Amino acid sequence: MWYPETTEHLSEIIRKACETGAGLVPLSSGPPHLHGASVNPEAETVCFEKMNRILKIDRKNRYARVEAGVSFGTLLPALAEHGLRANHPFLPRAGKSVAASMLEREAVLVPKYQYDYTDPLLTAEVVYGTGDVFRTGSAAGPGPVEELKADMVCPWGPGSIDFLRFLCGAQGTMGFVTWTTLKTEIRPSESELYFIEAEEPEVLSKLAAKLLFKRVPDDCIILNAIAFSAAFSEDTRQENLMREKTARWIMICRISGYERRPQERIRIYSGYLKDIAASYSLRQGTTLSGAEGLETFIDSRLDDCDRSDVYWKLRRGRVREILFLCPPSRAGLLTKMLEERTKVLPRENVGIIIQPQVQGRAFRIECDLFHSESEKEMFENCALEGEKALFAAGAYFDRPYGKLPSLVYQTDPVGVQALKKVKSVFDPKGILNPGKLCF
Amino acid sequence: MSMTLEAYKELEAVVGERNISNKPWVLAGNRARTPEYPFEYHSPDAIILPGCTEEVQEIVRICNRHRICFVVTVSGASVDAYANRGDTVLIDLRRMNRIVEINEEDRYAVIEPGVRHVQLYPELRKKGFTYVTAAVGPGGSVLANYTSTSGDNHNQHGASRANRYLLGVEMVTPEGEILRTGSLQTGSGWFCPDGPGPGLRGLIKGFFGSHGQMGIITRAAIALNPCKGPREIRTEGHSPHQHIYLDSECSKVRVFNYKSLDDVREAMLRIGEAEIGSTVMKFFYLTLAVMMTDSANEFHKLWPRIRRELPMPLVVHLATESPEEMAYEEGILNDIVEETGGVRIAPDLENWWNEHMDFFMVVSVLQRTLRLGGGWMPIKLGADSVSHIVEVGKSISEFIYDYTDTGKIFDAPENFQIVPMEYGHFAHIELLFMYDRTDPNSGKNVAEFRKTSRYTDLKHHYHAETLGCLNETTELLGPLYCNYHLWMRALKNAFDPENLANPILKE
Repeated sequence: MWYPETTEHLSEIIRKACETGAGLVPLSSGPPHLHGASVNPEAETVCFEKMNRILKIDRKNRYARVEAGVSFGTLLPALAEHGLRANHPFLPRAGKSVAASMLEREAVLVPKYQYDYTDPLLTAEVVYGTGDVFRTGSAAGPGPVEELKADMVCPWGPGSIDFLRFLCGAQGTMGFVTWTTLKTEIRPSESELYFIEAEEPEVLSKLAAKLLFKRVPDDCIILNAIAFSAAFSEDTRQENLMREKTARWIMICRISGYERRPQERIRIYSGYLKDIAASYSLRQGTTLSGAEGLETFIDSRLDDCDRSDVYWKLRRGRVREILFLCPPSRAGLLTKMLEERTKVLPRENVGIIIQPQVQGRAFRIECDLFHSESEKEMFENCALEGEKALFAAGAYFDRPYGKLPSLVYQTDPVGVQALKKVKSVFDPKGILNPGKLCF
Repeated sequence: MSMTLEAYKELEAVVGERNISNKPWVLAGNRARTPEYPFEYHSPDAIILPGCTEEVQEIVRICNRHRICFVVTVSGASVDAYANRGDTVLIDLRRMNRIVEINEEDRYAVIEPGVRHVQLYPELRKKGFTYVTAAVGPGGSVLANYTSTSGDNHNQHGASRANRYLLGVEMVTPEGEILRTGSLQTGSGWFCPDGPGPGLRGLIKGFFGSHGQMGIITRAAIALNPCKGPREIRTEGHSPHQHIYLDSECSKVRVFNYKSLDDVREAMLRIGEAEIGSTVMKFFYLTLAVMMTDSANEFHKLWPRIRRELPMPLVVHLATESPEEMAYEEGILNDIVEETGGVRIAPDLENWWNEHMDFFMVVSVLQRTLRLGGGWMPIKLGADSVSHIVEVGKSISEFIYDYTDTGKIFDAPENFQIVPMEYGHFAHIELLFMYDRTDPNSGKNVAEFRKTSRYTDLKHHYHAETLGCLNETTELLGPLYCNYHLWMRALKNAFDPENLANPILKE
């Protein structure tokens, strides 16, 4: 286990590994680790817990720069103090590394702010498998970082290569990131939370796409009753009660006003929400049947990470996630297929979350199979079979973990060859997280 | 010509004799058209026009077998799109001009490289869509704007740069493989540019495009945005006196003059924080005067007034979903302008935009900028935060007078544009100047001006330089930018070991 404290220290560790041929795997989040990207028996762990400084929060230019070990638990309140918010995932665990979340292209809660799949990640400093230090986008230069006058927020380049994109989704196989710059947004001064209930997910995903096309909501997320009750209850008893009382599918939609004329904005945009929802024969409400009185609690949960002792997805001990992307036209169909494929499991163990992304041009669908240690094999088999069927039906597994890489890379030998060429440039000795993805 | 007859015949067999030529007068007509640039001007050995991806692939494989360099061209606007040495084939993609798909539900269009703005924009507008359109004129290749040039555009305040909207890409690699990026890789469609795992999309375009050095892009999907305002556009008159109107109570243009760049910066940041406005930009005032007039004489008549009344214009286009939202946005805009010291310009000048709403769509009068001397060049083109880019803008006055006062270039001190994107999260700068192409010293003057601008940025450690594909400038600047040239070169070597795809660098 290595604990770098500076970029130079990390560079030294990697250069040494180059000489010895030892594999290295980065670890930047605290436990529990759900996907296994940071677990590698063939490698020594490089833990970033000592690189945990918030380097900068710039209210005027709306960005923050954080080291790899900074977690949501630390960053979110610090941003709030500056009147800013991060476009973060839905209820991440408090110990989750902000940099790791962005590098893994995790779904974000406010799709209107996401112009690209890499958003809100702007720039990064990385140590490649050669030990060389590199900075992406406008952080590249000119000159050393201490002398550079730029705010280091432009994500593209330098030059004709988009270096940042090789790091995203790479699970540390291309380089180890030491710090990242992320886009932040003005914290709304006022907001209105709406719930829209439905029996089927498809009508809600269509509504979400339409709302995002018009840039109406800030936060926007669709959950089935199981995921909703798991996320918004404080214990298993409350979760069980809520699950039985709420609608099968719930969309949470928050409309915000900022520093100028907030109420006017909320009134106009709430009107858009009402009109568009009505065009789908849906109604929005400010209360939710089955969760009355919890609206303020739900509202506050959207702005924070999960700080409880037991992460909300782990109340039954374990969770197996199925994660994929799809375009709006496929969201309903693939969600239905997901429900069919998991029917063999108890209903209360299958949480599904549908998140519109990139301004509503895509959906990140997440299925959480909650289970105990003794049920692991049954749930794992069900998940694997489901993933195969979904893949065949066009689901896009852009973040393949565990056994998924062999499935997703098998159809594209040219792409795999190209990825290996890229890897050979940035990690010629193959020491960074060996054996992951197609490497 | 050094290409063997055997190689020529193989290429001819791919596209047919109508779509290939080695006639000297045809080849001479396909040389770079900017004699004032320091560039090695060569006729290609052949020019070939493939009609589909498979033909491009076959051509590239033949070039590899015979070790012939290949350069891809479509709009022909850049010198990088022409032969810079012997033993080169020019692959012209203009026949590949199909709009392959417009997917309304998933909000993307799949296009071939030869599709022009004049072809795509009306098709999309009819369906209620628009896309970020670089101000290159109607004849520009849409795909080239997204993959090869900056992709900056007039509407990027409420949207972004084209980089953000480039989705799945199909490309023929320098060794002749067909590579597909993102969701296309696993047969999941065109909607996502990245993954599985790391994004091969990183090879396609960084800040700028690779100008064919990493392969030939044959199809790409671009994301679509909603079009606010009427689907039909009202026009009057004929070119060059055409007027283009957007008749909608949900569309208003407001132009303000500012006295200082600091005030412009404050206005931009506050408008961005409020998330209002479709277009916000500090526009070039000299270029504007050229665009506003039909002749050099008219320009010289108008220029003193423009110089006096709007030396620092902030152009704002409000485009909303409803009149109520328009009142909300206009109210906020007025507050911000009052706070920051902006002054609305005279109605007759402001009305120019109302009569030329193509300014916010596909700019149709761009060629007018060539009128004064024929030479025209944008420099800097870098991007970072609004605050940083404003500092870059301020530093221009440190060196520009040495060139304008001596007549080496034709420009004015504040003739640069700053265009914020993503509601003020970043901005780009473009310093535009004109010059007399008939002046034998113009090439030298232009090079000197560029160099001075670059060195001013380097001296201040400003990030404003155009960092493009592999060329001599990249080699020069690379060490100051984390040695990015070495990484780019290593990637080029990995994908093009024979260095055949637009080998701009001399071996």
